[in-house]
Amino acid sequence: MPDRKILVAEGLTKRFGAVTVVDDVSFSVAAGEVLGILGPNGAGKTTLFNLISGDLAANGGELSLDGSRLSAEPPYRRCQRGIGRTYQVPQPFGAMTAFENLLVPAMMSAHLRETEAYDHCAQVLRDCGLWDHANTPAGSLTLLNRKRLELARALAGKPKLLLLDEIAGGLTDAEGAELVALIRRVRDQGVTIIWIEHVLHALMAVADRILVLNFGAKIAEGAPDEVMQNPEVQRVYMGIEA
Amino acid sequence: MTQPFQHARVQRATPSSRIAMSLCVIVLVGLVTMPWWASSGNIRWAIELSCYLAIAQMWNLLAGYAGLVSVGQQAFIGVAGYMLFVLAQNFGVNPFVAVILSLIAPAVLAVPTYLLLRRLDGPYFAIGTWVVAEAVRLATSNIDYLNAGAGLTLRVMTQYSQHEREVAFVILCALLLVATIGGSYWLLRSRIGLALTAMRDNPVAAASQGVNVGRLRFAIFIAAAVGTGFAGAIYYMAQLRITPAAGFDPFWASMSIFIVMVGGIGAIEGAIVGALIYFFADRLFGEYGSAYLIVLGLLTLIIALYARGGVWGLLQKLGDHPWFPVQRKLVLEDKR
Repeated sequence: MPDRKILVAEGLTKRFGAVTVVDDVSFSVAAGEVLGILGPNGAGKTTLFNLISGDLAANGGELSLDGSRLSAEPPYRRCQRGIGRTYQVPQPFGAMTAFENLLVPAMMSAHLRETEAYDHCAQVLRDCGLWDHANTPAGSLTLLNRKRLELARALAGKPKLLLLDEIAGGLTDAEGAELVALIRRVRDQGVTIIWIEHVLHALMAVADRILVLNFGAKIAEGAPDEVMQNPEVQRVYMGIEA
Repeated sequence: MTQPFQHARVQRATPSSRIAMSLCVIVLVGLVTMPWWASSGNIRWAIELSCYLAIAQMWNLLAGYAGLVSVGQQAFIGVAGYMLFVLAQNFGVNPFVAVILSLIAPAVLAVPTYLLLRRLDGPYFAIGTWVVAEAVRLATSNIDYLNAGAGLTLRVMTQYSQHEREVAFVILCALLLVATIGGSYWLLRSRIGLALTAMRDNPVAAASQGVNVGRLRFAIFIAAAVGTGFAGAIYYMAQLRITPAAGFDPFWASMSIFIVMVGGIGAIEGAIVGALIYFFADRLFGEYGSAYLIVLGLLTLIIALYARGGVWGLLQKLGDHPWFPVQRKLVLEDKR
């Protein structure tokens, strides 16, 4: 595993009033690595993503991307610096077609020229199984295709760090296997991935490391097998009492 | 990944858009040649309709794409009108040149207005714009140099014959339509238009996809102020007189809202359809006074409740024939 750190988070904290939803979380992700994030509902996983993508401002802590400070950057700038994300609840540009949804990050984040963006987005659509829906308004897509579109849109921006938020939920085994294969191909291209997922077999098939959150705090981090054997993780995530 | 995709074909024009473009050229030529074939009354109507089209199109850009619902666009109409009158009447600038110079005023007013109001959301932003417009109206009403509440008259226009004035007006109107409708079309077809459309659909997601939502909103606010001011300057130049009550009349905001809501928000065609409906309804039923206004209000309410896409949205349901297509349609038969 390469050593170069793409993302470093130190003491990230987010509070909503008196409730601390992300509590002094520190971690790092190496270039080309796939980091899985686990935790029960309400553990602060999506909030952590929102802090990384800039959708929410942290109350404390520091974030750096590729060695330079990220914390003060607005969301659009973080995207332009190479952070692509999907949303747990798909957030498509509803009246735009699937193809146009992809053109937005391709042209506004990756800064591709128009014709380059067309080629790139056509390829991403094909890779993500959305070719036949290229000209369908995103608002009319099925939930499954909206999830595919989330991933496709994130890839269209040519990210170096990809944040995937529960994209395997609701997929059949065959679709899940396709998704895992696609994520592996993305990783093989050198993209670093942080993946929040409850579909464990999909996550375990790809993740190099796992980080577990509970009530906003990090309770475990390490190799997948090692983390899943952790009694604390088994207790809070799987309900298994030692 | 699979073999890289090369030379994806994208279709942008449609048969209906080609017809619409031809019609636009015919309309512009017809407009510019009006002094040689139309009556003075019809030319006045054309000026008025051009101004309505431009003001509505700018409001559509602002509310329909940038998500900035303003009820204070009359501020820009008034300041551009006043600057034109001052330049032409007090400084002796050629009034037709002064129309263009007067666009500085709305641009200059738009900058602090936006910076002041940008942190306000939805209805608070709308109320803020109205407050700014009222403040500018009150200030204008109290400035002696601007003849306070009595307003200004454009006496310098008497040095031009009626024919000369009409020729200049139709040329200015053609420029106005090209700048506002043509400019909107060009903008929405560009890379910025893609970002604007994304922002219209989901501003939070647009920001996370690389769109600088704040800067884009700022730019659109200024552009809309300038376009609206351009229409205001032409309108009051044709009226030969401006007062604070007329120049900063909230009627301009209600008219824009009616046109865009009824025509179809978030579509260039919607603002055009709405402006035509308003203009002809005003000509045909305006004499009925308050009853007519009640009907207009009810029509807006019905459209808002049952046909969010407006009349243009209903027409689109009959068949997808855009006049000004801004979409990028991928040609699918190329490669799978």
